[in-house]
Amino acid sequence: MSMRVRLALSLGLALITAGLLLLFASWIERPADKAKAFPRGVMIVGVDASVPPFASDDGQAVYGLDIDLANAIALTIDLPVRFVNISYYGLYDALISGEVDILISALRVEEARMDDVRYTRQYFDNGLLLVTRAEKPISSLEGLAGQKVSYEFGSVADTQLRVLEEKNEVITGLPYELPTYALDSLRLGYADAAIVDAITLRLYQRRFAGWPSAQRYLTRDPYAIAVPRDNRDAWRLVDGALAALKESGELDRIIAMWL
Amino acid sequence: MQGTANEHALLYLIAELMSHIVWRMLNSFRQRSRRSFKLLARPEWLLLLATVYIVFSSTWSPVEYVELGEARIVQTIKPQVCIHTMLENEVQERKIKRSLELVREIGATTIVQFFPWAYFEPRDNQYNWTQADLIVRHAKNQGLRIIARLGLTPDWARPAASEGRATTLNYLPEASFDDFAQYAARLATRYREEIRHFIIWNEPNLSFEWGYRPVDPPAYVRLLQKSYPAIKDANPQALVLAGALAPTKEIQGSPAGLNEMDYLRQMYSSGAAPYFDALAVHSYGSTEAADAEPSADQLNFRRLEFLRQIMLEADDGAKPVFITESGWNDHPRWSGAVRPSQRLQYTIKAFEFAEANWNWVEQLCIWAFRYPAPLNGYPDNFTLVSPAFDLKPIYYAIQDYARGWERRPTQWLPPPEEP
Repeated sequence: MSMRVRLALSLGLALITAGLLLLFASWIERPADKAKAFPRGVMIVGVDASVPPFASDDGQAVYGLDIDLANAIALTIDLPVRFVNISYYGLYDALISGEVDILISALRVEEARMDDVRYTRQYFDNGLLLVTRAEKPISSLEGLAGQKVSYEFGSVADTQLRVLEEKNEVITGLPYELPTYALDSLRLGYADAAIVDAITLRLYQRRFAGWPSAQRYLTRDPYAIAVPRDNRDAWRLVDGALAALKESGELDRIIAMWL
Repeated sequence: MQGTANEHALLYLIAELMSHIVWRMLNSFRQRSRRSFKLLARPEWLLLLATVYIVFSSTWSPVEYVELGEARIVQTIKPQVCIHTMLENEVQERKIKRSLELVREIGATTIVQFFPWAYFEPRDNQYNWTQADLIVRHAKNQGLRIIARLGLTPDWARPAASEGRATTLNYLPEASFDDFAQYAARLATRYREEIRHFIIWNEPNLSFEWGYRPVDPPAYVRLLQKSYPAIKDANPQALVLAGALAPTKEIQGSPAGLNEMDYLRQMYSSGAAPYFDALAVHSYGSTEAADAEPSADQLNFRRLEFLRQIMLEADDGAKPVFITESGWNDHPRWSGAVRPSQRLQYTIKAFEFAEANWNWVEQLCIWAFRYPAPLNGYPDNFTLVSPAFDLKPIYYAIQDYARGWERRPTQWLPPPEEP
């Protein structure tokens, strides 16, 4: 091997090592900078206070699950919190323009917005649930063959049943105007199963606390907190706080208080 | 209408030629080089290869060939069912075809489709009909009738920003009325066999749709007076639809627009009657049921009965009405929306109500079939089909109604009672 080739190989090896080191260094992040994340010294939260039980406004203050969650996150980060009540269609504009620091407003994760925002881990899943009576559980859509299934007419649950029907499963659909009627139908014995979203089921179970049911997620619909994409420090702080709240059980306590 | 196939063939030819030249160059160099690594040592060749790679990787994509398929006819028992499509912004021909197949399969006889002037005459007297050809060709092949909605002013027909004021695409200056009429005539001529219905502008009673100017019924009538004879000269069989009036509660002098009743009255008093063959109206249900009583204070489906009354008062009752936009929205967080169950039931009831009570309504068109991409907002919940072509329950419900199928209930059950 000539000297020139050895030199070229050595140089190449050095370059690869340097590249790997740089890559490794980029993985090891510095601690999130609170002052950089929230330069106003307060965590300003955008919320649409027209979505009970997540957020409502009684004229004096906003309240609800999202408000309690925001307060708990602010406490974890050790920052004061301020709420700005914005209609749903102004939320993302307020975030992108910097009017608010984060959005906690029963927001579904939307892939199309990810050029502008970064979502935290989910704090609630409002996916569709297959609900059955506890004494007669059905664990899958396929298990619905030959059963009577209640659902909200025209909803995503309706679509799920059509998918099954296209597989030649014989299901008797019981369509209702409201998903709560679908649950009534199951509770009262008209239906063998109901397909409803998680919020509807949890609120229903508050009304009928002793009603036993079995449930299983059929689809996922995660709710998360939105942070401006270019404010990675804020995302790390908020997501970290959310993880801590999950870990400690505080998140479950907040959810159970409202749902 | 064979332009697309020719363009594809030409692209292939150019690609073949370029790859042949590059291959010859590489081959000749290889023969002259003893050691292959020398090839990489020559910067000019590296540069050439990199350029070729960048140009190809950035511009070349597999050419899409879409078979037109055999000619089809619509099977329906409800010929008044019509769907407003949004194909003017659909870039993939296979998606245009798929959309129109699904419209046929739903049992709709007719589509309302936008043919924006700004798209098809981007420069004065220079036309580019590529997209229009695709839409018309596939619609015709699926056996669908087209109602062409005309609007959007090209740059060259609007005042330049340098003249002191920026204008929107909805700004149509009176000086360009003749140009608009000429575009309409060109369209009517080109598609004489395929398009017989032309809507002149869209919702001119809204300031936004009138270029953010105060709405102006007499000016709109002057636009009709230019467009009507131009279209009739191009195709005497054509029908000119006026209005496409938006439902709105705005009063005279409002900066946002003018309610459709007052607007129509002013159209008649400005001499509109001889210059349209049918009235196009938009009739959304808002948050009310399809059969809710009409009211001047409330936007609902039956509000267009007031417009019909005005037509009768103007002794113009022989003309039909086309509902060129209608429907309900089921977005979970929009104040103008209803629940998905209500959207479905109200929509079917609307068709039934129109059929039973309004023999003067020729078509009831649902807004909208599908958007090419999500809009990330409540308008997404007006569609029947998602951008990924997932069929929503309302699609199936309209299909059951139009084709007389009894696959699923068309109404919800009463609330369950305690036994």
